[in-house]
Amino acid sequence: MAIAEQPVEMAQRPAEMKSAKPGIDWRGRLLDRAPFLVACLMLALIVAIYGSLQSGVFSLDELNLDTAAALTLMLAATGQTIVLVRGGIDLSIGGMISLGTVIAATRFTDDPSTTALWALAVLALGFLIGALNGLLISLLKLQPFLVTLATWSILNGVAMIILPTDGGSVPAWWVGFGYAQLFGLTSPVWMLLALLLFWWWFRATRVGITIQATGSNEKSAFLSGVSIARVNLITYGLSGLFAAGAALFLTTQTGAGSPTIGKDYILPSVAAAVIGGVSLFGGRGHLAGTLIGAFVLTLIGNLVFVLHVSSYWQPVASGVILLLSVLASSVAEKAARGRVQ
Amino acid sequence: MDLVTVKGLSKRYGGIVALSEATFSARAGEVHALLGENGAGKSTFIQILSGAVRHDGGSILVDGQDYRPANPDAAQARGIAAVFQELSLIPDLSVEQNIWFRHEPRTLLRTVNRAEMRRKTLALLDKYNFPALRPDQELRRLTLAERQIVEIAKGLAKDPRILILDEATSSLPAREAEWLLKLTRQLAAEGRLVIFISHRMAEVRAIADRLTIFRNGSTIAVHEANAVSDNEIVTQMIGRHLDRLYPERIATATDRIALRVKGLSSDSRLSGVDFALREGEVLGVGGLQGHGQRELFQALFGASKASGTIELWGKPVSIANPRQALTGEDGIALVPEDRRGQGLLLTKSVRENLTLSVIKRFTENGLLSRQKEAALVKEMVDFLRIKAGTPEQLAGTLSGGNQQKVIFGKMLLTQARVLLLYDPTRGVDVGTKGEIFQLMRDLAARGYAILFHSSDMPELVHVADRVLVMRNGHVAATLEGDRISEAGILRAAMLENEAA
Ligand SMILES: Nc1ncnc2c1ncn2[C@@H]1O[C@H](COP(=O)(O)OP(=O)(O)O)[C@@H](O)[C@H]1O
Ligand SMILES: [Mg+2]
Repeated sequence: MAIAEQPVEMAQRPAEMKSAKPGIDWRGRLLDRAPFLVACLMLALIVAIYGSLQSGVFSLDELNLDTAAALTLMLAATGQTIVLVRGGIDLSIGGMISLGTVIAATRFTDDPSTTALWALAVLALGFLIGALNGLLISLLKLQPFLVTLATWSILNGVAMIILPTDGGSVPAWWVGFGYAQLFGLTSPVWMLLALLLFWWWFRATRVGITIQATGSNEKSAFLSGVSIARVNLITYGLSGLFAAGAALFLTTQTGAGSPTIGKDYILPSVAAAVIGGVSLFGGRGHLAGTLIGAFVLTLIGNLVFVLHVSSYWQPVASGVILLLSVLASSVAEKAARGRVQ
Repeated sequence: MDLVTVKGLSKRYGGIVALSEATFSARAGEVHALLGENGAGKSTFIQILSGAVRHDGGSILVDGQDYRPANPDAAQARGIAAVFQELSLIPDLSVEQNIWFRHEPRTLLRTVNRAEMRRKTLALLDKYNFPALRPDQELRRLTLAERQIVEIAKGLAKDPRILILDEATSSLPAREAEWLLKLTRQLAAEGRLVIFISHRMAEVRAIADRLTIFRNGSTIAVHEANAVSDNEIVTQMIGRHLDRLYPERIATATDRIALRVKGLSSDSRLSGVDFALREGEVLGVGGLQGHGQRELFQALFGASKASGTIELWGKPVSIANPRQALTGEDGIALVPEDRRGQGLLLTKSVRENLTLSVIKRFTENGLLSRQKEAALVKEMVDFLRIKAGTPEQLAGTLSGGNQQKVIFGKMLLTQARVLLLYDPTRGVDVGTKGEIFQLMRDLAARGYAILFHSSDMPELVHVADRVLVMRNGHVAATLEGDRISEAGILRAAMLENEAA
């Protein structure tokens, strides 16, 4: 019997650990960032066209205006980005945004402390409902798509019950928040910077890394000791929180509540992230990309406006851009994979 | 006193009994080998110890205290870390992020302290003489062997009292495997307990102090390593006497050339490979690791680019991608190296894995014939003796040997008669190994032409009709008959190295 034969002592070649090659893998890094770079390119292109058709595009005023127009989507998309990096999706943000605006429009008063309390309540509600989504996904082992579709519908209904049609109002000083200025920049621009700062911090924390890791490979994360239920709770909780934030900001822009407005942010929040290079399969993505994507989607609207074509071209253009982005990331992915093998 | 004592441990998966009344005990400072056929319950045992799976019955004592970890964290808290067979790594994190995942050093802002993490990584890699790894490399860019090494580093980063290695050497090249064996002894000398699972008897012989043998989920025997023969061990593992591992080698090759390769070259590692594989022949491919064997198989399967001519059954073909390689009776089928990554869809059933790539064969007038499919699946499962509860069991839950059989089945169902087998017995237990060798000879007798690479040299020596020895990307020698021996292969493989 030959089972026990000693393995033959092989000549000692240096280990062929490919990854140990020194130097920076520039091509690999470039490919990894390709979707993000493509998004930046698109934005630059859109801004260039926009700037050539319209005067005063390259000014602080324009930056303030466009950021204000994009920030609701940006806030919603920040939560969505976290969920996508986790490998999930959150449709319920549509319901949460509607609910947030109608609560604000019906409960905010001229008394700042009452208003502040209700604003905090909306944020807390956002987190709780999101956490509930996460809990249901873990406990029932259901698809995030289905669970959040259901909660979207429920929240939408509740919003309708509170305020059946667009209306209500928020105090004038609350609306003023959206236009407050510091060093020539309005509050939306500052919030945009705050979002980036938050992301820079969050993705380097253990919680942030754990969410990313769980999206990258859930089984491995579990084997490493991650509580998947807890990750889901935090992920969807944060998404709900950002949706509530988006709702509050939206009321500074509209001055009123709307029980149906939230649905306009569901798919764009996903689209913004995807345009910015966030992977729908989890594990990869950066908020900077999402914010660029949100700008792209918003400026397309401006472009359609200055081109004097029917506004129905806006969704058409958004769709084309989305397709281009997806194409770019899949090409980059394939190229990267070809290299790895 | 024993560090771990396990009594009456049981675990079922639905109708499948993975462990029944298993016992185990081991001391600090020893290397304790756990042996058993594929499916004996070794990985399940490890998963229970490391908190990944909960047991149904029985008791575990660690340090004399009751131990019932609710999750891997709880196990770590008691000083138990596992190097999992299926690995627990995150593709989108870097090597160092993986090693310290959830235990990263932090700054005042609660973010990861990268400088400190790098320092600790280098210190760890240095302390245990790890093969070169780049800490900042993303894991998904690493090869299987490199990932295995990262997984080992991750286990050690927790400074565990008990380290479990589940078939950790099976995906390592010879040199790294040797390093791991030395490391294992070193860890035991530091007073840790290392539980070591491997199908390579020589490794077990080299490092184990004691060994426990599992069969069908129960403990069959515990031995002092130097007080038991290989024969006894194998007999206890498979529950019968295995009189021979290698089948009789009856020459069945005809004069017909099934696969002729001329001047095959690629920019990576092939430079002018020439050979001819005949109908009914098992042609071995050997040589030192990294001399083009892998690239040859990949090029023949169309998974990587190469120039030169390839003729199948006398007709020149160009194989630009795996789909072209697969087609029909004149095609080529491959058993790949990384069966978990490339060969199998782990989250799909045995049936789906078998039939996915040949779905056309069950389609009548555009409709899928479930009956026809079921019949073929049954035939394959019986023919290969795949041990699965039902054809609907998920491939990922099969034992390694049975996963390998599913890949064989998948390959046979393509009807291709030129088979490329790249290390088909890696991580497969002796009993199943024997079955695979027999299967190879049976297929050859039926006129299949088989190109066969193994990282275990005795397999080439005992199973192949001829052996191609590769050196620097070409065939340096072709050994036949009596000239096929380990010494012969090594001599041909190293000649130039010695001269240089
Ligand atoms: N998650 C699971 N679901 C169903 N069956 C499983 C699962 N994990 C393991 N098994 C079965 O339990 C038995 C023991 O498997 P395992 O512990 O992996 O064996 P080993 O590691 O000794 O090869 C096998 O029959 C295997 O198919
Ligand atoms: Mg196993």
